[in-house]
Amino acid sequence: MNVEAPIPDVAAPPHGRGISRWLGPLGRRRWAVFKANRRGYWSLLIFLALYALSLGSELIANDKPVLMTYRGKLYAPVFVEYPETAFGGDFETEADYRDPYVQDLIAKGGGWAVWPLVPFSYDTIDYEIASPAPTGPDSRHIMGTDTQARDVFALTLYGFRLSVTFGLLLTLLSSTIGVIAGAIQGYFGGWTDLLFQRVIEVLHSLPILYLLIILASFIEPSFFSLVGVLLLVTWMTLVPVVRAEFLRARNLDYVRAARALGLGNRKIMFRHILPNAMVATLTYLPFILSTSIMILTALDFLGFGLPRGTPSIGELLNQGKNNLYAPWLGIAGFAVMATMLSLLIFIGEAARDAFDPRKAL
Amino acid sequence: MSEALLQVRDLSVSFRSEGREVKAVREISFDLAKGETLALVGESGSGKSSVAMAVLQLLPYPTAFHPSGSIRFAGQELVGADENAMQALRGARVALIPQEPLTALNPLHRVERQIAETLRLHRPGISREQCRERVLQLLQLVGVRDPVRRMASYPHELSGGQRQRVMIAMALANEPDLLIADEPTTALDVTIQKQVLDLLHDLQQRLGMAMLLITHDLGVVRKMADRVCVMTQGEVVEAGPVREVFERPKHEYTRKLLDAVPKGRPLPVANGGEPIVSTGDLKVWFPIKGWFGRARDHVKAVDGVSIEVRRGHTLGLVGESGSGKTTLGLALLRISRSEGVIRFDGEEISRRNYKAMRPLRHRMQVVFQDPYGSLSPKMTVRQIVGEGLPLHRPELTREQRDAEVRAILKEVGLGDDVLDRYPHEFSGGQRQRIAIARAMILKPDLVVLDEPTSALDMSVQAQIVELLRDLQARHGLTYVFISHDLKVVRALAHELLVMRGGKVVEQGPAEQVLERPEQDYTRELISAVL
Repeated sequence: MNVEAPIPDVAAPPHGRGISRWLGPLGRRRWAVFKANRRGYWSLLIFLALYALSLGSELIANDKPVLMTYRGKLYAPVFVEYPETAFGGDFETEADYRDPYVQDLIAKGGGWAVWPLVPFSYDTIDYEIASPAPTGPDSRHIMGTDTQARDVFALTLYGFRLSVTFGLLLTLLSSTIGVIAGAIQGYFGGWTDLLFQRVIEVLHSLPILYLLIILASFIEPSFFSLVGVLLLVTWMTLVPVVRAEFLRARNLDYVRAARALGLGNRKIMFRHILPNAMVATLTYLPFILSTSIMILTALDFLGFGLPRGTPSIGELLNQGKNNLYAPWLGIAGFAVMATMLSLLIFIGEAARDAFDPRKAL
Repeated sequence: MSEALLQVRDLSVSFRSEGREVKAVREISFDLAKGETLALVGESGSGKSSVAMAVLQLLPYPTAFHPSGSIRFAGQELVGADENAMQALRGARVALIPQEPLTALNPLHRVERQIAETLRLHRPGISREQCRERVLQLLQLVGVRDPVRRMASYPHELSGGQRQRVMIAMALANEPDLLIADEPTTALDVTIQKQVLDLLHDLQQRLGMAMLLITHDLGVVRKMADRVCVMTQGEVVEAGPVREVFERPKHEYTRKLLDAVPKGRPLPVANGGEPIVSTGDLKVWFPIKGWFGRARDHVKAVDGVSIEVRRGHTLGLVGESGSGKTTLGLALLRISRSEGVIRFDGEEISRRNYKAMRPLRHRMQVVFQDPYGSLSPKMTVRQIVGEGLPLHRPELTREQRDAEVRAILKEVGLGDDVLDRYPHEFSGGQRQRIAIARAMILKPDLVVLDEPTSALDMSVQAQIVELLRDLQARHGLTYVFISHDLKVVRALAHELLVMRGGKVVEQGPAEQVLERPEQDYTRELISAVL
């Protein structure tokens, strides 16, 4: 039925400051809707703040001083490796600033040192804990230590950074591949589409966990090999969405008009159709990100993830499971995961609102 | 006339949108007596449909609301009436014929069930046999051929005209006192339009209903209505008996509306001249796939058509929907697959592939019907219009390209200020101008115009026709003009080609075909134009 609800001129908010200036009128409207979802907006701010903070983990939790002097010269051990010999020690290897011997040497040199807030890195083993590891929270380790006497706070800080970075990288790569694959399938249709769809079905039916277990037996799992293997399954998330958009758009008049202009296929796909498929893609991104993080954590938990010695929330959770008498381990892991995933879901909700044309301001 | 059947006083309709109030209808008043037809005329966005929906209280409340006014139907106040009272009224005493017969029927229900539903709803006691009887009677009344078989049909098995007849039967099922027809024929082909209007007129006479007719088509008004209210921007600017309003329009807007019919004659052209494009026995068949992708049968969209368009002329391609005229136009440009010879400026092009066509692309361009779908929504006007330039005239610098874009926009009547705006900010007519600019900037020889005016309001149609004629005169363009609207074709075409079911019915100089048609089908088409 045709009720001519008069379409108002899209109320472009006046040219704003900050982000708004770089967006078109539509983008400005979306940003306004995004901001109107207070929970999502604050989640985004908090998430960005946390991630920015965790990017500087080395300055917050480390087993080296940020800045120190030795015999009147300035040193920045966080950024530069100095051999022990630089401070009059015996070894050519990097100085261990927690070693009382080295500390003594530096003190003799008449220097001072500014330590990070937490004087432990994620892999620092603290030999001076009061009772056998794991120890509960105290003034020395505010969130306690794990089974190897490592500081749990440092572990979660570095773990958060690694998880999010891993998730972002995986999301970026799998979205790029997914968008391109979906675009090709939808645009060309026919046999191309048919073949791709069957390949996707085969990949979908592979049990990823067993695949990883098998792969782990002959590939050393590392950050990048894990990204590669997970990419095998995650690239398919966006394919159906993008494919549907391209199937729909390839027969629209503006695409025909572009063909009548003689434009090449690639230009038509990426200049004319893709911008319209981006809405769906961007809406999915926060959810893909949270899924990626969850997969990584699950693999770490099972022991098929990142190699031993990397700061990982999954491993922390596993320790928590094995040491139920030390609840701070499980609680720390849970808190980090819950915060991270909740924030991402809230951001995703706000993004979904922002791209919904029917959502009133 | 003591008491009007429908009495609308100071009615306003507003919509809440993004925190603002958009006034769709502003304090309009009219009366409608029993047995009378009142037409609400106006262009899209004038608020006429909102009035119709307000009478039925079917607006999307509470997004929509009435700041003022009353609607009295047979003495009963409808504004703010409770839902139960309205439900008792709708379909029983006030019935609606919606605009889109293609989507207004539930695709999963048979015709009998669709019509019977309204009957059962308002007459709970009716027996199965009585109900069936009545449905049959109604189908006969609205002139559906073979009603017994049609009762068991699903909507997709019916043509557009048949579906509209079923919709009318549904509306009439309970013998309403007031029939609201919202653009009842807009979606139909001209010949069918005429039949449906005749039917409505006839039924109204016989059943003595009052009719509120919503339309933008002045021809329909003249044929059907007793009185008319001319609406623009939510206000009634002129009201009165049809004849009076049409012969002595008082308000400026009414005059503009009446003048808006595309006028003028095609440009004078020399006879003869070389053909710029011609086809020989052109076929576009779409296979219907059977098992293992083998073609079982073909849909013959274009079936053996030979045409010839001379330089500087306009060929009008006329036909109803499904006659293959658009497919033929696309085949000429080699956007659609086809078999048979196509010659462009003496060169055989039907065997060229997409890449080999590219050098010719700037010489043949196309303007599509729907200006809302033919512009990429995420590109600015500058990008849209200038897109072809780097491809076909790579020697231009960025500044020169910009100058070209500005020049062509000026030619189609748009200012510099549109350059960095997006399509959604423009009205239909402005968008069509942008689409025309995109086609014209490459200085083509041949332009295929696929119903470029049919999605536009009447007054805008006339402007676009003027613009097209103007451009043709200035650049010596050749047009293939596809349309179902003979009024527009008459104003532009030198030669005419009437198509039906993929085949050519009649072909010849426009004057001759329009004045002295030889085929029955052509005559029918011409007589159906109001």
